[in-house]
Amino acid sequence: MINDVRNTVLSIISKDNRGFITPFEFNLFAKQAQLEIFGQYMFNYSNAINKQNARMHGEGYTDIPKNMAETIDTFSVFTSATYNIGTSKFNFPVDYFFLDKLVYNNSTEIEKVSHRKILNLVNSNLTAPTTKYPVYTMAEDGLLVYPTTINSNVTIQYLRYPKDPNWTYSTTALGDPLFNSAAATYQDFELPLDDFANLVIKILEYSGISIREADVVSAAKAEEVQDIQQKQ
Amino acid sequence: MAYITNYQYYTNDGNVPEDANWGSYQYVSLADIINNFMLMYVGNDKLINNVDRYTVLFHAKRSIQEINYDALRNIKVLEFELGDQLKMVLPHDYINYVRISMLRNGVLYPLTEARQSITATAYLQDNNGQIVFDSNGEVVIGESKLDILRQENRLYVGPGAYYNQMGWEYDGEWYFGYPIAQNFGLNTADANINPKYYINKAAGVIDFTSGVEHSYIVLEYISDGMENGDDSLITINKLAEEYVYAYLKYALLNNKFGVQEYIVNRVKKEKTALLRNTKIRLSNMHPGRLLMAMRGKDKWIK
Repeated sequence: MINDVRNTVLSIISKDNRGFITPFEFNLFAKQAQLEIFGQYMFNYSNAINKQNARMHGEGYTDIPKNMAETIDTFSVFTSATYNIGTSKFNFPVDYFFLDKLVYNNSTEIEKVSHRKILNLVNSNLTAPTTKYPVYTMAEDGLLVYPTTINSNVTIQYLRYPKDPNWTYSTTALGDPLFNSAAATYQDFELPLDDFANLVIKILEYSGISIREADVVSAAKAEEVQDIQQKQ
Repeated sequence: MAYITNYQYYTNDGNVPEDANWGSYQYVSLADIINNFMLMYVGNDKLINNVDRYTVLFHAKRSIQEINYDALRNIKVLEFELGDQLKMVLPHDYINYVRISMLRNGVLYPLTEARQSITATAYLQDNNGQIVFDSNGEVVIGESKLDILRQENRLYVGPGAYYNQMGWEYDGEWYFGYPIAQNFGLNTADANINPKYYINKAAGVIDFTSGVEHSYIVLEYISDGMENGDDSLITINKLAEEYVYAYLKYALLNNKFGVQEYIVNRVKKEKTALLRNTKIRLSNMHPGRLLMAMRGKDKWIK
């Protein structure tokens, strides 16, 4: 998809000789655009849930929240958590965006508890954390699981950030960049094809600002506004 | 798929204790209650969402405690041999008693509660009647005269242990006036020939009057179903399962900000109705039981 996006962006920008963006610039703009769209997924999903509760979404093909959840789920990772003896905490995954849940022994969910409540909880006679009902708190240096006897057999399910897109190329005899998807560092966009237009619009915005072409920015903005209105 | 095979049920897969699963089908575990509730009653499209599991756990345990007090009739029975102190320490999971009996010569004698105090805390006093304090300024506790008399069989607590007669003690001897049947002052509420007990809640013991030392005491009592804090052992009878879900819904919605009052009232009514239903179910009113009880109605009282 990344090559198609780039070609589309370049063809729009090149029209009327407005300017040109290098592969390096494109990759920077592509990363920024992907992150921005990805970050918007959660808000869009929340809005869609609210609408569904207001009976504004139906079942089947009109089940928009389901469609959105499927997209978000493609970034869901389930992996073993590493215990750090020094901090007595479990390490964060390096690429985590949103911690969905921790699971103990593949069967018991470890529940997130705020720092404000954890002391009350630990000192509660009815709800103190046990291996059957474990909890955790988050800190800068990791995840502290209660009861603190739990220091293994913990798995983390989290949403990771999308990988940075990288339009790789080889150089022709004339010095032009030629798309090369076989390069080791090649990375396509991880967003679904549905977001093709959004990616193009976003990259156009950044490109227009970069080449100081107000027409490109305003046209891209207008497209974006129209797209948002359609989704509402 | 079967929940549990017959082999697992009858023999616990050959593990000790083999009776671990006997009768287990009557109950649903706390873990199942929590899991089912979080699965079926909590969600974006449900009345309840964004609730912490520990909150659900708290209210689930509270509902199990309440149903244990109100309707469950899970009566525990403890047998205990009394020493010379005539004291029985309350069981660790004791909440309230149902009945206390004395086992003697193969007969279980139901005991009645003493309506007067038969034990006390006594301050140590000097010859002038002044209270004695220790070096920390605290009162020194001595031995209660009430306790001494009770243990020496010299405390009068009503007719029964003293030839069934009213009387008074003087210089360690008991004196009696008239035979009990001729005494108009008899308080029939205390008229029981068996020894008596007094539950000293603050001290965590049951004190007995004399005459029961080295006897076996059978204490029937109720607990709160918390199984000494072991969550894996907490269960609830299936006849009360729906009530627990209703209690949870009410407790969560009633404490949540912004829930409409008609919703709170709806779940409150549901909870109340299900409590009534659960009590009826657990009261075990079988026709056969009623029949046996009603057979006494034709008996002539002479």
